[in-house]
Amino acid sequence: MKYEVFARINQGDDTIHIGNVTAKSDRLAKMYAHNTFDEEDWDRLVVVREDDVLEVTDGSKPELEVATNE
Amino acid sequence: MSEWPDPAIDYVQAITDTKLILGHRYAQWSLSGPTLEDDIGGASAAQEEIGHVRQLMRELEAQGRDVDWLSGSREPKEFANAACLDQIDGTWSSYMASIAPADRAAWYLLDAIDQDDLEGLITKMGEDEYFHLEYHDARLETLADDDPETVQRTLEETLPQALALIGPAAYDEDEDPLYDAGFTDRPIAEIRESFADHYRDLFADTDVSLTDVDWEAPALDDWDETRRRIGTGAVAETDVKQIRGEENQLFAMN
Repeated sequence: MKYEVFARINQGDDTIHIGNVTAKSDRLAKMYAHNTFDEEDWDRLVVVREDDVLEVTDGSKPELEVATNE
Repeated sequence: MSEWPDPAIDYVQAITDTKLILGHRYAQWSLSGPTLEDDIGGASAAQEEIGHVRQLMRELEAQGRDVDWLSGSREPKEFANAACLDQIDGTWSSYMASIAPADRAAWYLLDAIDQDDLEGLITKMGEDEYFHLEYHDARLETLADDDPETVQRTLEETLPQALALIGPAAYDEDEDPLYDAGFTDRPIAEIRESFADHYRDLFADTDVSLTDVDWEAPALDDWDETRRRIGTGAVAETDVKQIRGEENQLFAMN
């Protein structure tokens, strides 16, 4: 399963996307992220299952036919 | 610097030597993992183990151990590493099922030390070890699905060897000399129980059965209290030669 990795260096910083890992379990994904993205002393490092990422744009665009009074 | 009771020097020596050989094995296998992330984790753990070794060697030197001897100028049979690290052949599954019990056993022994002047050192090592042990367990869980036969067969050999590093079951709160001397805060029997419970829980719902593991090993009469193992096995001379850095003095430890 693919996991997206997010981190921040200092408390109060934005938590930003820094990469991804592929792992067979949540537990292993956390360890892969810890070892692979070890270049900073992170205040927070999290992984999110790709399946749990909720699409906002969903790859579609507003259609021209949408009426402003809807 | 406090003066340790005599058995404590051998106790810390066994932890140090186990970490020294662990670092060596991590480095040897760090290009053999199934994924790049496993290799990165192994290389990282190798550096951390050698960092721990350097700190522990300073402590042992302060207790009178010769620094050249500590750094590898000794015979293979003078190393007191966990026996499951003597030689690791076979697959990556057997490698993982060999290093994991050794690393966990060494950490449990270190964590049991109750000396104020070592507290900061051990706390820092514990921060590193948390990730080593969590990684091992996460990996063993997946290997228990992918390759249960190898994991089980290897653990039947390596868990008793790791238990020998911890010490004999007879060392309970009445018999453990280091607990009695106040050097440790829990007897060996208690450490063994935590260790065994951990692996029983880890594999409880998997295809790996630990029912054939000799959880009672080692027998007190057979146990070498200096090298914390049974028998006269040892790492290979080639391992010791690499650890000494003979081929490239630039990378020697001192």
